[in-house]
Amino acid sequence: MSERDSVSRVQFKLDDALRLGYDYIKRRLDRATINIASIALGISFLSTLMLTDAFYRAYALAGGGRLSVETYQYWLMFVALVVSVVGVTNAMLIAVYERYREIGTMKCLGAMDSHILLLFLVESSIQGTIGGVLGFILGIIGALLSTGFTTGFDIILKVPLAEILLLFVGSTVLSIILSIVATMYPAFRAAKLNPVEALSYEL
Amino acid sequence: MSFETIIELEELARYYEMGGVTIKALDGVTIQIRRSEYVSIVGPSGSGKTTLFNMIGGLDRPTRGRVYIDGVDVSRLDAYELAWLRCRKIGYIFQTFNLIQVLTAIENVALPTVFAGVPRDEGLERAEKLLSSVGLSERLHHRPTELSAGQQQRVAIARAMANDPAIILADEPTGNLDLNTGMEIIDLLHGLNKTRGMTLIAATHDLKMIKASDRIVWMRDGKIEKIERG
Repeated sequence: MSERDSVSRVQFKLDDALRLGYDYIKRRLDRATINIASIALGISFLSTLMLTDAFYRAYALAGGGRLSVETYQYWLMFVALVVSVVGVTNAMLIAVYERYREIGTMKCLGAMDSHILLLFLVESSIQGTIGGVLGFILGIIGALLSTGFTTGFDIILKVPLAEILLLFVGSTVLSIILSIVATMYPAFRAAKLNPVEALSYEL
Repeated sequence: MSFETIIELEELARYYEMGGVTIKALDGVTIQIRRSEYVSIVGPSGSGKTTLFNMIGGLDRPTRGRVYIDGVDVSRLDAYELAWLRCRKIGYIFQTFNLIQVLTAIENVALPTVFAGVPRDEGLERAEKLLSSVGLSERLHHRPTELSAGQQQRVAIARAMANDPAIILADEPTGNLDLNTGMEIIDLLHGLNKTRGMTLIAATHDLKMIKASDRIVWMRDGKIEKIERG
């Protein structure tokens, strides 16, 4: 091309991807809600157990009895997380099918494979963040309900704030990572779509 | 200037294998299209119109033959350069409008500028001007579902022009519109072709659209049957 130099200007900035991802979530709230709920439930299970463990340790430190989270509960948590990842993958695959035409159109308008990939991953990161925060809040409630009657509900005040914050950050990051992992396969499929096929696809 | 060739197809062919049968969607198409020309492609469905468009737009690779756009062989471009071509050089208009449903009119029009790396404010400003030029200055923040079919196609036309492409590919642009709305769209496209000097290639069955064009290419079974002056 005569203007070969400007080839480098086919691009898609992160803030644009964020904005578009946000629009998709806002306008297709039903599917986003399912994803967020799925992730939030997995994460709430995880944070319930982690917080319960923290509460028990604080309780023992304060002179109460020794209590601990059972191993099988961690196994259940692991299964719950796997289930939520699979749920998100499934929902995102359907989202890709729903958007075949739009993905094809975007490619006609100059979107590259990497742009489509980024769009889906950004969308799932947003869902992962919301799911993570909600899941942690549910986790606090869950942990208080499971321990409060023996340790007293003020046990949460006896756990160092730094520990709770660490758990919060940890579970939110894990939530984002799981959400991205769950979206990898659907996002790659979307990115690799042949625009010719995508445009002639009838849902 | 106006006689300069912008698109050149050379013995272009595209075969598909389908259940052991070879389908010749395009079978040796040779034509030169001048800059600022308005060409109608006419033919029954399955005659190869859409495949031809996909080839010009670099969406599909030929089985044999060449597509040159501004003298550049499209089949030699890598993914990056193809995206650039689709982004900057070519504007697409579809029969089914294909607007992004979650975005407003102005955001739809600005979308190609996003892929072109244009700053957001500038892209939106451009989109606003384009929407005004297609008579939709009152509908900037409406979503596709809140617009009539004719208005949606206007948005799509504005979107096709977002990066000021040299070529507009319109695949049955009036196919989903009633007679009057179709006429308006034809006038709009024709006007853009004349005032902005954009090369317009339209696949159509619409006689009014055919009449307005400089040349009419009749296709049948993947071949050019005849070429007429408009």
